[in-house]
Amino acid sequence: MTESISTMAQLKISARNVEVHYGDTIAIKDVSVDIPANSVTAFIGPSGCGKSTFLRCLNRMNDTINICRVTGDILIDGQDIYDHNVDPVQLRAMVGMVFQKPNPFPKSIYDNVAYGPKIHGLARNKADLGDIVEDALRKAALWNEVKDRLGSPGTGLSGGQQQRLCIARAIATSPEVLLMDEPCSALDPIATAQIEELIDTLRQNYCVVIVTHSMHQAARISQKTAFFHLGNLVEYGDTDQIFTTPHDTRTESYITGRIG
Amino acid sequence: MTTTANSLLVRDDRTKRRNAAELRFRAYGLGAIGIAALALVLLLSSVLSSGVGAFSQTFITLETSLPEAKLNKSGLRDPAVMAKVSTFGYAPLLRDALLTRIAELGITTSLSDKNVDAMISKEAAASLRDHVLANPDLIGGKVTMDVLADGRIDGYFKGRVTMESAARDGNTSPEALRVAQRLADAGVIETRFNWRFLTAPDASDQRPEAAGLGVAILGSLYMMLVVLVLALPIGVAASIYLEEFAPRNRLSDLIEVNISNLAAVPSIVFGILGLAIFINFSGLRQSSPLVGGLVLTLMTLPTIIISTRAALKSVPPSIRDAALAVGASKMQSVFHHVLPLAAPGILTGTIIGLAQALGETAPLLLIGMVAFVREYPAAYSHEAGLFGEAATALPVQVFNWTQRADPGFAERASGAIIVLLVFLAVMNTVAILLRRHFERRW
Repeated sequence: MTESISTMAQLKISARNVEVHYGDTIAIKDVSVDIPANSVTAFIGPSGCGKSTFLRCLNRMNDTINICRVTGDILIDGQDIYDHNVDPVQLRAMVGMVFQKPNPFPKSIYDNVAYGPKIHGLARNKADLGDIVEDALRKAALWNEVKDRLGSPGTGLSGGQQQRLCIARAIATSPEVLLMDEPCSALDPIATAQIEELIDTLRQNYCVVIVTHSMHQAARISQKTAFFHLGNLVEYGDTDQIFTTPHDTRTESYITGRIG
Repeated sequence: MTTTANSLLVRDDRTKRRNAAELRFRAYGLGAIGIAALALVLLLSSVLSSGVGAFSQTFITLETSLPEAKLNKSGLRDPAVMAKVSTFGYAPLLRDALLTRIAELGITTSLSDKNVDAMISKEAAASLRDHVLANPDLIGGKVTMDVLADGRIDGYFKGRVTMESAARDGNTSPEALRVAQRLADAGVIETRFNWRFLTAPDASDQRPEAAGLGVAILGSLYMMLVVLVLALPIGVAASIYLEEFAPRNRLSDLIEVNISNLAAVPSIVFGILGLAIFINFSGLRQSSPLVGGLVLTLMTLPTIIISTRAALKSVPPSIRDAALAVGASKMQSVFHHVLPLAAPGILTGTIIGLAQALGETAPLLLIGMVAFVREYPAAYSHEAGLFGEAATALPVQVFNWTQRADPGFAERASGAIIVLLVFLAVMNTVAILLRRHFERRW
């Protein structure tokens, strides 16, 4: 398995023996996974299986939960992100995240996208910042819809547009990894299709990791799929292989709809 | 179940009972609102009816001659010498002026000099003296001034004093009222809007007509400034730390419980605390707005902290996540995103806390703000010690006036309550407007 990954693409994220505890309960047990760059990796599994928890380890969002404890190593580009010297704030600029429910700031569309670059000092001047905003909105396939009303509130957009705005906001800090936690679960099918199409194009520039409830979505957009069950990483491999010839019976049961 | 029970056109017993219960509940609710509204109407109408008189005042227009012989015996116009003539020197001048006016109008009266004196406020001689000392050139000529009528005369024109009550009153007589009525018919006595009520300082027991709220309003204003400047930043900083940064453990639980308890502590306890710490220990001046403001700050802090924490809690966590996920630090996420969203709640809580502090009396009594302040404290006209001079406050002034014997002060007290209520209404309106303004942004 390790061999197939190294031959396929450059390695971006490498997790080794990751365990996550919430107080006394264990949420994730001994997960090791290698995620390649410039690809879409999907985490699937039934509710409560730990896939979102693991995703939130990748940008240390779990740090905000007091009782959460993470052990093991997670390396991004060979650097241990849980090292004492790593400031999570810097890490999160490099590892963007999009949440389940669209959560734009209650500010203008422009300010939503400009916020990240502003606090990280990515723009030298106003024109520069405008370029970054435009670029991010274009990459998020939202520019044509909002270019005439950048000053209007981001919360006034439709659900799908809001989610693309959140993607633009994440892209604006020029991250290398983009984490998506069920980004389409609150959206209608048309908006979902747009986001999926967008994710497929984002793959050229970013390492995308997506948590999804929909196996069909995982099959449509991802190159790699990891199946989580009860805190364990049951199976990880090329998406085609997982959905056609799963090695583990639990994976087979899940994708055929018998568990989950 | 029988087949007839299944008809939708007939209500079964259960439905009827439920509908009746709902109807009863609505009636209770309406009744409760009715009682509350009635209480409010009663309160407002009683305060308004007894207090509105304080906003008008009766004045006598007098042309007083200022004889050189009495006011400036030396002829040197030396201010120090002239100041030796006390208000007792000026009172007869006013009486003469009034007697002259009465004679000119052809009113025949059996009033003695003393009774005529009693028609003019004791304050009048003092204000005439002040006026003359400020303009010494007037001496030897005549000056026309509107002087305050006595409280009984004032009360007669407002309906508080009647011929019958005057007959039983040692301070006035039906004859004096009759003369006053003739003077009013001739336009010499006039009742008009009373700015002095809002600007003048308090006056002694014998002259309710001269008493005003000026010092009390200033004192309250300064105290509110102290409260705002101290309680808002301290309260907001404490809440932000407790809500956003503090680890959840026994210590923070203990602090939380204690803050809630502090909010329920009777306000007089804060007065005792203020007396012990700010006056006895720190040696700050008693009855000063600074000490009053500090005590009210302590009292208002829990209110502000509780409402600020509630406002912070109501900001959805997804906003914090969103900010953290683009690489904002904890502090950036709080100050850039959470705080602006919580601002309307914080402002409302602060203004309600301020309003509470504005109407608070008990702790101020303990730190000596119940003092009788006859003059504008010197500091109000000078630069130093703006907050350190003795002052009083609106609710304390009400308390003070209700204790005085002269019925003129009862009217003043109600008038002061109206002023206080107006201030409170304005503050609450501001709170609502601010809330709307910030909430409407998106």
